[in-house]
Amino acid sequence: MATVVPTALELPDQLQVVGAAEELPEQVTLWQDAWRRLKRNRLAVIGLVIIGVFLTTALVSFVWTPYPTWRQALGPTYQGPTLIHPLGLDDYGRDILSRVMGGAAIALSVGVGASMLASAIGIILGLLAGFYRGKIDVLISLLINISYGVPDLLIALILVVLIGRGIQNIILAISITAWLGMARLVRGQTLALREREFVEAARSIGTKNRKILTRHILPNALGPIVVQATYLVPAAIIFEAFLSLLGLGVPPPAPSWGAMASEGYKAIQIAPHIVLMPCLALSLTVLAFNWVGDGLRDAIDPRMRR
Amino acid sequence: MNPGETLGIVGESGSGKSMTALSILNLVPEPGRISGGKILFKNRDVVTMTSGDLLEYRGGDVAMIFQDPMTSLNPVLRVGFQIEEAMRAHSRFDKRQAKARVIPLLERVRIPSPKQRARDFPFQFSGGMRQRAMIAMGLANEPSLLIADEPTTALDVTVQAQILELLKELNRELGTAIILISHNVAVISSLCTRVMVMYAGRVVESGPTRQVFDHPEHPYTWSLLRSVPRVDERRHERLISIQGMPPDLARLPTGCTFHPRCQFKVERCLREEPPLVEVAADQEARCWVLMRNVSKESQAVRT
Amino acid sequence: MSRGTLVYAVQRLLLITFTALVVSSIVFIGVHQLPGNALASERRLNPATEQALLHHYNLDLPWPQQYLLWLEGLAHGNLGESLVNMGTQITPLLLREVKVSVTLGLAAVFVTIFIGMSLGVLAAIRQNTWVDYAASTAAVIGYSVPSFVWAFLLILLTVTGLYAWTGGTIYEDIGWGKIEQIPVPALALGLPYAAIVARLTRASMLETIRQDYVRTAWAKGLSARVVILRHALRNALIPVATILGPLVTGIITGSVVIEFLFGIPGLGQEFVTSILSRDYNIVIGVFTFYAALIGLANLTVDLLYPVLDPRIRY
Repeated sequence: MATVVPTALELPDQLQVVGAAEELPEQVTLWQDAWRRLKRNRLAVIGLVIIGVFLTTALVSFVWTPYPTWRQALGPTYQGPTLIHPLGLDDYGRDILSRVMGGAAIALSVGVGASMLASAIGIILGLLAGFYRGKIDVLISLLINISYGVPDLLIALILVVLIGRGIQNIILAISITAWLGMARLVRGQTLALREREFVEAARSIGTKNRKILTRHILPNALGPIVVQATYLVPAAIIFEAFLSLLGLGVPPPAPSWGAMASEGYKAIQIAPHIVLMPCLALSLTVLAFNWVGDGLRDAIDPRMRR
Repeated sequence: MNPGETLGIVGESGSGKSMTALSILNLVPEPGRISGGKILFKNRDVVTMTSGDLLEYRGGDVAMIFQDPMTSLNPVLRVGFQIEEAMRAHSRFDKRQAKARVIPLLERVRIPSPKQRARDFPFQFSGGMRQRAMIAMGLANEPSLLIADEPTTALDVTVQAQILELLKELNRELGTAIILISHNVAVISSLCTRVMVMYAGRVVESGPTRQVFDHPEHPYTWSLLRSVPRVDERRHERLISIQGMPPDLARLPTGCTFHPRCQFKVERCLREEPPLVEVAADQEARCWVLMRNVSKESQAVRT
Repeated sequence: MSRGTLVYAVQRLLLITFTALVVSSIVFIGVHQLPGNALASERRLNPATEQALLHHYNLDLPWPQQYLLWLEGLAHGNLGESLVNMGTQITPLLLREVKVSVTLGLAAVFVTIFIGMSLGVLAAIRQNTWVDYAASTAAVIGYSVPSFVWAFLLILLTVTGLYAWTGGTIYEDIGWGKIEQIPVPALALGLPYAAIVARLTRASMLETIRQDYVRTAWAKGLSARVVILRHALRNALIPVATILGPLVTGIITGSVVIEFLFGIPGLGQEFVTSILSRDYNIVIGVFTFYAALIGLANLTVDLLYPVLDPRIRY
């Protein structure tokens, strides 16, 4: 094994007293160790597989679906599952399987897109607020405190009404309501990390603040950030579904799962499959992301390192 | 045990003294359990008692107080209530009587301003006071036996003395038998008339305290007594300790469990575990050799 | 209630009023920056009528002046008049709807706490048995399935299912007004949160059961029921209470969708309707109510702490 001098990020797996001539035991980075532990978590692995399936479906849907998602009257409306239409037909006679596939693309775009955007904003502002304190921090803390008293859904609704209903706008609206949560996390982490000795050490050799932020603070806060970002994806997907149910989600004929459920609701009593299929897809996706998020959270927990 | 008797159980951590105490109440925590044998209280076997009888027995006939009074009292319930609760759970006193007995009990254990204190929460008490409250709680139902598991270990030395004094008094006045568990030989000898020495989950010596401490027959007891540092010892003398570590109870040595650490072992000690035999009037020990058979020169060697 | 707690409560109430004011002011000012005027939507009005209408609603004044008038109205509890339905006073309307929403919300909280804690305690005292695994899995599924999916499932189960089973004799309509219409939306709203509470309660109980004072309780000869409930659970509740604040906020948020789905005439539904019909006066009013509601809910939760944990004093 190569002997590597540990930096602030790499922690040796075992401490062994060895003679000078012997090699040091294998040293594992935090991330390698976390990945190993994650792999051992059965639920997390199942979650990753499910996400993989939906991701593949989503990507495939860009080039092919069994039937066009917008083509109507493929058969009798409200028809239940059959061989050629495994998930049935909806109230316009469209193939539900194709639409669910398209919905996967929308859900993952919205979920991952909103999560990334909210995280990006939240990380930057959280780092700035926590590190430099001062006016930025006052403002951010104020916003965080106010946000406790304001329901995010209402804000998002107003935003959507204002800026329109396209998929990018939806991602934007969701991100605007979600970045504060990430900022709060990052700010807390930054506040704690800036007091640590390695920051002091870096400063003492003349490292500029910006380098400290990017090279020292951010990497060490990355663990909880990744976990939070993972949880943000299903939250955003559900959020979009909420919007769709209220009629303010991604506009038709886009087959977002929420929109499908919303349309199918009218006929729930005579053709429940129209509502249930997208709901099943959505629940599975959310479940998968929650399992992965839980697994990640346990994997990076330093208390569980052996 | 005889009524009103005071017994001390002495041993290192991990010797099984706490487990023994818990088993008297049939409270061995999972995944452990009592696998055999009998525990007789007034001729009834605790091990086979029905759960209904057990509830009456615990806290009623036999009570137990624990080592750390800070964590042993429920932090969200008032102290007076916790004492009252102990009585209400049993049939000895009815509701009215239970309520009425709380303050006198607190007085009995020398807690000042008992009326206010009864309405306080544990975090408002000092360490010594909490232990007194625990004692009050233990004695609330006038049990025949009180088991005290290291009651003074978590307390200051001065408070230790007060608590021991209190226990002595209560034993005299109420006639409650006491089992005092401790790793501290001095504590045991100040309170208990009989002593039991435990090692690796076994009783290795027992008898009247004075007698055992003056004439210990088991090498472990002998070593324990020797290792107590004395204030009047010459400064440059090394402290005596027993070499080695107590064994893992899951991997006991063959033969006598103490032999790896014993200075006086013979060949038989490695093969056969000795039984507990009477070695003097009212004194038992579990050893093939016995200290009386060891020459004075051997005893003087310091390890 | 100690003096400190009273002082704290008053401080918080002032803070809530202030926050509600700030929030609704922001919404007010924001709304009035929008181009065009609120009335111009689809209706074609002749200039004279339009002028009269604008005047009626003070919309012909510069917005700072409107703001002051609105503040003055607010001081008297008057939130103004609906833009869409002229003559409808907003405050009484919202008060009626707040009662509905609060009823639903409380029912949901009840579901959350009752089901969540029971499940959590059960899983904890039967740790590592099939009961535990089943309950824990149910919990993860519980909060992964969003409230509206629960709503759909429950509707299918109760309305359609009941109808099918009884061969068409029992048909409960979804809506509001009868007491038996409360459980289904309350369940749909509360189940995801019940799952979260279950997980948290289980974890908390597992720790509490191992505490010394629980051992003392056993040694005192207390019955299992008393030990688990009065000693273990009582203490286990303390960490669980910390999520009650976000939980209540979440329920209030979720009620918007649930009210919509079930046709429940509450605050959430009003908000959606008014936003879609551009009735900005009502929008501002609803926001004010929500801010106050959430503030009060969080305050109630925070006042719960000293009750649960006497070590906490304000």
